[in-house]
Amino acid sequence: MSQGRTLTFNIFRYDPQEPDDKPKMVKYQIEETPGMTVFIALNMLRELQDTSLQFDFVCRAGICGSCAMVINGFPTLACRTLTSKYPKGEITLMPLPGFELIGDLSVNTGKFMRELAERLKLWLQPNADDVDVHRLEAPMDPEEAAKLYELERCVECGVCVSACATKQMRDSFVGAVGMMKIARFELDSRDERTVEDFYHVIGNQDGVFGCMTLLGCQDNCPKDLPHMQQIAYLRRKMAVALV
Amino acid sequence: MTVRTLLPETSIPGIVGHPWSAKADKIQSVTGILLGCFLLAHLHFESSILLGKEAFYQVVQILEGGMFSETGHGFPVVTKVFSVFILIVVMLHAAVALRRFPAQLGQWRALRRHMNGINHKDSHAWFWQLVTGFILFFLAPVHIFTMITNPEIGPHLSAERVYHANAWLLYALLLPAVVVHAMIGLYRVAVKWGLTANRRGLRKIIKVLIIYLIVIGSLSLISYLIIGSDLTLPIQPFVPE
Repeated sequence: MSQGRTLTFNIFRYDPQEPDDKPKMVKYQIEETPGMTVFIALNMLRELQDTSLQFDFVCRAGICGSCAMVINGFPTLACRTLTSKYPKGEITLMPLPGFELIGDLSVNTGKFMRELAERLKLWLQPNADDVDVHRLEAPMDPEEAAKLYELERCVECGVCVSACATKQMRDSFVGAVGMMKIARFELDSRDERTVEDFYHVIGNQDGVFGCMTLLGCQDNCPKDLPHMQQIAYLRRKMAVALV
Repeated sequence: MTVRTLLPETSIPGIVGHPWSAKADKIQSVTGILLGCFLLAHLHFESSILLGKEAFYQVVQILEGGMFSETGHGFPVVTKVFSVFILIVVMLHAAVALRRFPAQLGQWRALRRHMNGINHKDSHAWFWQLVTGFILFFLAPVHIFTMITNPEIGPHLSAERVYHANAWLLYALLLPAVVVHAMIGLYRVAVKWGLTANRRGLRKIIKVLIIYLIVIGSLSLISYLIIGSDLTLPIQPFVPE
């Protein structure tokens, strides 16, 4: 068992609000406890050693997507990463690249996700005959509901954006999270937008045809969403429809 | 609507080019598969020298269409025409693949920063595909033009080219670059269009193929050097007894 080890954390520290602050790596040491996650360790560090340490969390159970960061080179959720995974006991923490830095390990994924949603119109646009709120909603086919639920599991943690070299190189690229959400509304029978409308949004260099299949999204998604199959499906569908 | 602007696309002249995004992606994949498969065949044909001069001679006669001539000798013009075809395919592939290059310094920096910060094998593999792709811009046309202008192939004629005309240097650089580029490319095109979900198995096959192709390519290059060093100028073409 790894109980009783001393863990060494190398943590990126920088507060953009402080005019004189410069980015640096700071070393912290902490005793490992059974079942410790990186999230638990960070809380202990903040409580016991450095109250100025900034990082995000809400649910501590892999549901909110707030605590995503780069742990030893892998973007993932801190709350779902056991410290026992690292036999050397050395853990380097960096903020997710590609987002506005709030401070230390905290980045503004919310702003990014909101802008993306506004650009791609990622909300349900009901059928024209479905606007009467007094009318009973038509029941959804259970199979369709299951498919939607699968894609709804995205927690908008931002890992796929940070793991994607294409997105890092090309700012206008929508990335896996955008395509996943487009696929979700394309499947939804209550949404009035046709396949054509979605093609205009992601059937181009900023969408599926800009994706270089580096698969950072597929390999790092903490919710194990089927990005590879989903993007390949959209690509095949659009390649046929657009020619 | 477009992603970038939120303006109706009809109001932006020249942006209604979405079908070309799809076409460019398809052209890149199709020409890539074509070139990758051609490379697999090409390296095996030229490596037949490892089975002896006679074997290579027979392969050349068959590929040059020897069965259509009365003497059984092939026509080097076949190589000429085929090389022109390959050149066109390479140019098409390069034209659409250019979309992927980090053409601006900022993009290059973003890529390097990403590679230093994020540990991801497939992204690193793509980086090597990018580097080898760039190298091929300069090496592949040299080889193809030689085959258009001097299409004579044979155990002695090829050895002359490799040893006496110093083409070994070109081939020694071209071989690893083209093998790495093509094999990683075939892997990527398979997962890109969802032809297979078994990435782990495919990656193993690709790794074995890269090593295997570089080994047979290098060994045959050494064979041509040995054959070439035994020949005196002017070269007499090899004729089986």
